[in-house]
Amino acid sequence: MERGRSGPPAVTSAAVDPEAERHPSTLAPASARYAALHVSKAFNGAPVLRDVSILLEPGQVHALVGENGAGKSTLFKIMSGMYQPDTGELVLGGERLTDLTPRMALHEGIYLVPQEPTLMQHLSAAENLYVGALPRRRVPGLVDWARVRGEAATFFGRVGLDIDVQTPARLLSIAQQQLLECARALVHNCRVILFDEPTSPLTSHETEILFRLMDALRDDGLALGFISHRLDEIIEVGDRVTVLRDGAMVTTAERGDYSRNDIVTAMIGRPIGVRTRVRRSSDVTDRSEVLKVERLSAAPVFEDVSFTLTEHEVAGLAGLVGSGRTEIAETIFGLRRADAGEVWLEGAPLLHRSPRECIDAGLIYLPEDRARNGIFAEVDVARNVTAGIIPHLPRTWHLIRAKREESLAREVIGRTSVRTRSLGAAINTLSGGNQQRAMFSRWILAEPKVAIFDEPTRGVDVGAKDDIYDIISDLATSGLACLIISSDLEELALICDRVLVIYEGRIVGEVGHGEVTTARLGELVVGGAQ
Amino acid sequence: MTTAAAPPARTHIPPQSDARGGSRARERNWILALVVLLVAEILYFSATVTGFFGGGTGMLALTEQFVDIGMLALGLSVVILAGEIDLSAGTMSSFSGILMAVLWRDGIEIWLAVVIALVASTLVGALNGLIITIFRVDSLLVTLAMQFILGSVATALSGGSPPYGFPSSFVTIAGTGSVGPIPYQLVVFGVFAFAIALLVGRTRTGRSIALIGFNRPAARWSGIRVDRTIVGAFMISAFMAGVGGILVSGFYNAARDDLGDSLLLPAITIVVLGGVDIFGGKGRIAGVIVATFVLGFLTEGMLVDGQSSLSATMVTGMLLIVSLALKITVDRRGGFDVRAALRQRVQRSARTEGAQ
Repeated sequence: MERGRSGPPAVTSAAVDPEAERHPSTLAPASARYAALHVSKAFNGAPVLRDVSILLEPGQVHALVGENGAGKSTLFKIMSGMYQPDTGELVLGGERLTDLTPRMALHEGIYLVPQEPTLMQHLSAAENLYVGALPRRRVPGLVDWARVRGEAATFFGRVGLDIDVQTPARLLSIAQQQLLECARALVHNCRVILFDEPTSPLTSHETEILFRLMDALRDDGLALGFISHRLDEIIEVGDRVTVLRDGAMVTTAERGDYSRNDIVTAMIGRPIGVRTRVRRSSDVTDRSEVLKVERLSAAPVFEDVSFTLTEHEVAGLAGLVGSGRTEIAETIFGLRRADAGEVWLEGAPLLHRSPRECIDAGLIYLPEDRARNGIFAEVDVARNVTAGIIPHLPRTWHLIRAKREESLAREVIGRTSVRTRSLGAAINTLSGGNQQRAMFSRWILAEPKVAIFDEPTRGVDVGAKDDIYDIISDLATSGLACLIISSDLEELALICDRVLVIYEGRIVGEVGHGEVTTARLGELVVGGAQ
Repeated sequence: MTTAAAPPARTHIPPQSDARGGSRARERNWILALVVLLVAEILYFSATVTGFFGGGTGMLALTEQFVDIGMLALGLSVVILAGEIDLSAGTMSSFSGILMAVLWRDGIEIWLAVVIALVASTLVGALNGLIITIFRVDSLLVTLAMQFILGSVATALSGGSPPYGFPSSFVTIAGTGSVGPIPYQLVVFGVFAFAIALLVGRTRTGRSIALIGFNRPAARWSGIRVDRTIVGAFMISAFMAGVGGILVSGFYNAARDDLGDSLLLPAITIVVLGGVDIFGGKGRIAGVIVATFVLGFLTEGMLVDGQSSLSATMVTGMLLIVSLALKITVDRRGGFDVRAALRQRVQRSARTEGAQ
């Protein structure tokens, strides 16, 4: 029987001078093909990957695409040693890697840029860059800080990161943190870099910067893997595309051998219709105003924000990450204190706001960061869905009536088509799209009059996106006033009646009925109107 | 907004009780395992230690030795479920017992003194909670400080000579009396255990506490009044510790100002053994109730057998480590599939050996 290569991975690096290995910037990256062959993996008996093989070639970007839960992230985690495959093997430059650990993977030059950056928030950018590989001085145990600072600047330059190397990581934007992760891969002289959905928290401008870096790395002969939900990105950067569906490979194609529709069809297993804006009843005039925000300020994040929402309306709030859009929503919802300004709901002021008062008055907020602020990961679907209406749960004396609660939950997750094994399944066993539908269910139960949806389709696959647009559209038709915050300008153009544009904490423009186009919004969000 | 895609067909969603592998199912399995352990323990001691079973009444009488710890554990579970900790519970018992006794010595009717002591304890609990939520200080630190303060206050109140010799009506109910074969203390424990189980499992407050323990930001974003609920949790913990202190005073027929760690540490052990996650969220009161008896009978069984209290403590420590290691393994694997875990271990080591 064939055996894996024995022992630690010292074989490939034996020839490398240890000093050079510690400061690999002096070496040209060696190219290598990296293949995962016939990999299968199951969690708790549920198959996640079934006989998947992909090949990353030096000087190529291999894009991996598929709906949430298709197994893309799992494959990358196996390829970077975070998970062990149940069957199948990994081959790097002709060598089999057995029992790969993250540490070995790094040693072999394989780096995974995770979905959410995992920097040490209180260390400086330069320290983060060298975590696990700090250059030493001659005296054992001492760190050569001068060298850290000096070389960090060089690496940051290579990835186009224009920051002071001493900046604490927590002050960096998500985009900057991701570039820093890329720089770490360069520090370790990596030959293979895997990007797990790096663009989902980025704005289009930041995405462009990342893509330019990926192009440069590709031209340097690195083998790149790339996961994204956004088809345009896949088409833009993918030299080769592999489509996964339900843990199995559907197709692999070289650039030019596929069309956009081919990918979509392969991903979801059915052709998808072209999305067009439809006239809702919301397009009629003569609607009453339900939310009025007046001169709301919380310096220095945002200032003097005023707008109104009317019933049946879907309004958008466009802006870059860091423009203050989420902070405005959180202030309206009572999660942050305002310096000045008022919020009126149906003609009554909401003073001393807290989330509870807002919800009970009919104002809800769907948070941007679902994992952190939305779901209770290990809790069953039913309790997740009813978490927003705990004070109003049906009960006898003080005791919650479990059966009635269950039927409430069942009814509302039916309305948003949440797919789950049972109401008692932990919500983190659901795909991202279904988790988001469950979040919509939570807020539908609260019977709101005004809803703020912050990045409603973030981390959600193409098929589920359409369903979420339908949910929003139905809610608006039944009278709800919606405010959609999104980085995806196409999304705003598609579903919004009008869009407010925020730039550096101020509303700089409003694009009204019939004028909402991605081009116009794109110009405004980067401050182009000034 | 039209798409060619029809919404997915509505499929039948099984009810919660049908859940397999969810956190609730695991909690149930853990409690079942504890019950099996308890039965095995009782059978073992009954068979090997003379004087343990005592025709059933002997065993029931033994519960008087540990239900006070169980009271602390019940209160602590509420705080731990919310993701906090209350280290002041031990000396809170001293404080409550001493305050009650001193008031009684000064001429206040004994039951009124009990009520005043419990109210005072609850208020100190509220103070704990308010400091933690208003100043955002870690509960570990606040309650550690409160532990010292309450211990000193109790000693100072007693003036070095804690009162003793309470009226017999009090000693019967809070101390050593019994209804038929069942000690009053056990009845009191039963009532409070039932109340706390209902509070945590069935009320809105209990739901809020668990959700706060699972994910505090998400709880806040969902409109749960996080700070208010946490203050409430500390009040419950303080109240239960207060009741525990009264029971200890009744049992010894004397107030004691030296309770502290001797109550607190076993109580925390019971909470964790009962399956409550020390980081909050997961756990059920039923598990804590069973764990009270598992740990209590284990200690008492060994003491009746003539072992030293040191070896009883050591066995307690070992039981805690083994059970937690087992529980975490089970949780991670999503079920009681220990065989599969072992098989994988063996395969992996075989593979490593083969490769060398």
